[in-house]
Formats: sequence, C-alpha cells, structure tokens
Amino acid sequence: MSLLLDYQYFPITKPGKGAGGKTGSWRVVKPVVDLSKCIGCKACFMFCPESTIVPKGGKVTVDYEYCKGCGVCSNVCPVKAISMVSET
Amino acid sequence: MIRKIISGNEAVATAVKLARVGLTGIYPITPQTSIIEKLAEMKAQGEIQTEIVRVESEHSAMAATYGAALAGIRAFTATASQGLLYMHEMVWWVAGSRVPVVMVVGTRAVGAPWNIWNEHTDFTSERDSGWIMAFASNPQEALDLTIQAFRISEDERVFLPVMVGMDGFILSHTKTNVLIPDQEQIDDYLPPRRQPYVIDPEDPVEIGNMFPPEGYMKLRESIHLALKNSEDIIRQHGREYNKKVSPMIDYSTLNSSYRLEDADYAVVLMGAWAGDAMEAIDVLREKGIKIGMLRVRYLRPWSEKEIRENLEGKKGVLVLDRSTSFGRGGPLYIEVKSTIRDTEVKDIVTGLGGVTVGKSDMIYLFSKFVEGIKEDVTWYYPKEVGKLDVRTPRDIE
Repeated sequence: MSLLLDYQYFPITKPGKGAGGKTGSWRVVKPVVDLSKCIGCKACFMFCPESTIVPKGGKVTVDYEYCKGCGVCSNVCPVKAISMVSET
Repeated sequence: MIRKIISGNEAVATAVKLARVGLTGIYPITPQTSIIEKLAEMKAQGEIQTEIVRVESEHSAMAATYGAALAGIRAFTATASQGLLYMHEMVWWVAGSRVPVVMVVGTRAVGAPWNIWNEHTDFTSERDSGWIMAFASNPQEALDLTIQAFRISEDERVFLPVMVGMDGFILSHTKTNVLIPDQEQIDDYLPPRRQPYVIDPEDPVEIGNMFPPEGYMKLRESIHLALKNSEDIIRQHGREYNKKVSPMIDYSTLNSSYRLEDADYAVVLMGAWAGDAMEAIDVLREKGIKIGMLRVRYLRPWSEKEIRENLEGKKGVLVLDRSTSFGRGGPLYIEVKSTIRDTEVKDIVTGLGGVTVGKSDMIYLFSKFVEGIKEDVTWYYPKEVGKLDVRTPRDIE
C-alpha cells in the first residue's frame, strides 16, 4: 500500500529474527558440526532449545548469532558428529 | 432523502447502516444501549449485513472492533461513561496502532457516586488519547458526523480513529426530525475502506511488538502531526458532504458560530445546550447586549486558527463547561484560555450529572457575565440547593 506522506509512521514491523534473542559476547563454547560424520537424522534440530540448528542439504549447520552454547545438540547426537569447541 | 422522526441513537444506527459497516462490537451501557438494540433489530430484519459480536465487557467490545479493523473491515462500536473508562486501555491501543475505527459516545457522568445522567466528563477525559473527537449538538449532526467520521478516519493523511460524542439522553433518547440521506448518496460520498496495513497470512506483519525509545517517540510524533494535519482534511470532507449529501448544516468549519461577527462578548460551549444558549442570546440581543456563541464541534483537532479568528478582540469570553478537570475548571476553558491572548476568559462549570441548565439560567449567567464576574471559575447551580442528605463520618459514628 502506498504510504506517501513523510509524517506517517505505523507501529508495525515485518516478522523476522528478534534482536532480543541474540547471543551477546558471553558464550564460552560453541558446537561445531563434523559434516563427514553427520548422518542427517536431525535429532539436534529437534532438541535445540533456541532453534539455532538449520537443516541444510540433508545435513545440519548452526546459526551462531543465536546459539547460546548449551551443548544439548552435542549430547543428543547419536554419531558424536557435534563437538563443543572453546571460544575463549 | 427522507425525513423521519427518530432519536439520536436511531440516527447513529442509521448512519452505521448507511456506511455499510462490516462489524460492530457491542456491549450495552446506558444511554448508548438503544444504538446497539436498533442495530440488532436491523440485523434481525436483514436490513444490514453487519456482523454483530456480543462480548462480555466494553474492553472486549473495543478489542473486537480493533481486531476487525486490523483485518480490513469497517468497524464500529458505541459506549458511554464507565464503559468508556473501562475501554480506556484499548482506546489508546487503537489510536497507537493508527487503524481507522469509529466510536459513538453517549456522554454520561462518571461514578462514584452512581449517576446515569448527562455530562461530558467521560468524553473530555479521553482527549489525550490521539483520537479525533467530534461532538454533535442534535440528532441530525450525530448522523452526519458519524458518516463523516468514517471518511475522515480512513483518509490516508489521517489514519486515526474518530470518536463522536453525543449528549446522553438529551440527544440519545429525544426524537426529532432527521433528514436521512439515501444509500446512493452515501455510497458516492464514502469510498471503500482504506487503511495503512492489514492482517494477512500471505504477507504477515507484526503488531503490538516492542519498540525502542526513539522509534516509539517517532510514532508518537507521527500521531501528533496526523492529528494536526487532520484539521484541513475535516473541512475538506465537510464541504464534500455538503455538496454530495446534504447542505442543511454547514460542515466547512470545525466549529459553528451564532451571531458572533458583530458581538462584543462571546460564549464558548460544546453539545446540545447550544440550542438553549442561542435562544438566550436572542433575548439578550433584544435587550441590546451584543453577545454571540461559538460551539466547539471538534475538540480534537483543536483549531487554534478558528478559535483565534472568532474570539480575539472580544471584550470577554465566557466558557460553559459540562465537565471538570478538578482543581482547574473545565477542560474547554483550559483549551480556550491557552489559545487566545489579550482577552479575558471566564469559566462556568455547570450541568454536571444531569443538572438541568435551561434558557432562563443561560440568560441569568450571560447577563451576569456581561456585568462582570470576578472569579475565573465558578460552579453554578440552577436552583437553590437545599441541605443535601449526605452522610459524613460523624453521622456514621
């Protein structure tokens, strides 16, 4: 819809990733996926409490902007493809 | 056009029918109840297609109306008094969301103590909420202003909700001659609804989310500018209404004046008692007192230009308030006083809670004002008030 007037603003936004859920500078470990081991079962995707596991081409990657480094994915992986790597 | 003898509430219901409203959120409260009764009757007889949603409170009535408006339907609700105060939160949400909605308020006193009679306090207490606020002085104007409200509200330069006030009982329940426009005339005047955004699963938007301080302030300023700019837009749509629908009442100005051009003294008021004031002015004019009246039709936007043009240079201005801002006088008085300079402004607060102020009281008040009253704000009781049977703590002991 055309909103032509320079003084007209409306209190709406387009849905997207919330800025409020972003991980700050405080994460100490991050999950790293070994793609050669990953079997694409998506157990990590199911269990990630922050929905930061992104299925991609039959396997998975991690959205580090929102990952808090809790390690749940690493624990549930049946083939031990995800290892927690220190960031400090 | 046909002429019918109907009450103010029926006139509003007719306006809603003519505007082809899609949804009305209803909850009954005196003196507005017969608007929704009439709408329900019309719906039962198949005269209107409006969806009527019965809810459990006024807060929900406005919430339902707000939701429908967000979805792109022309929406309407009506309320009064405690109901409007109960709605207060949603009233702000609607204005803040910039979504076109029209509401009619049958003005009534606010408790405690319980009082169902007429005054304007409920209406004026919403004047900071960002709504455009019109006030009718007869059932004809209630009908015309409600139809114009949809046009103004849905203008892309405005996109703000509009509230139409109407004196409870005095207009809402009194039957007079009302000229009812034809459906074709209104269809010609009122184009299909426009609004800034809609709820649509195909193209989702987020509403009611958190905004950072700067963004929030920017939005507030945008409401302020839209409300200020609406002044000319209201005049424009008023002229169009006069041309396309009915030239009977002049809507080309935000306020209406009576014998004001050559007047030395001016009276400012709002609502149905303008009729009594006009008769009182005629009597005083015969006695040689040059007095005129300015009736405020739009409390928001407040037309500083019109008020200055009409009132500056007068010997004195008397404001009659049917509402109060405790400790300060009437809200209308505060507005007028802050607008005009170099002119003496006096205020009389009267007519609260249904106290009847008629022609003779007006003649008394106006002549007293011309003689010169000392106090800035006076509380006036029409009759000799006897000792009230009010309980004090001592009685209870």
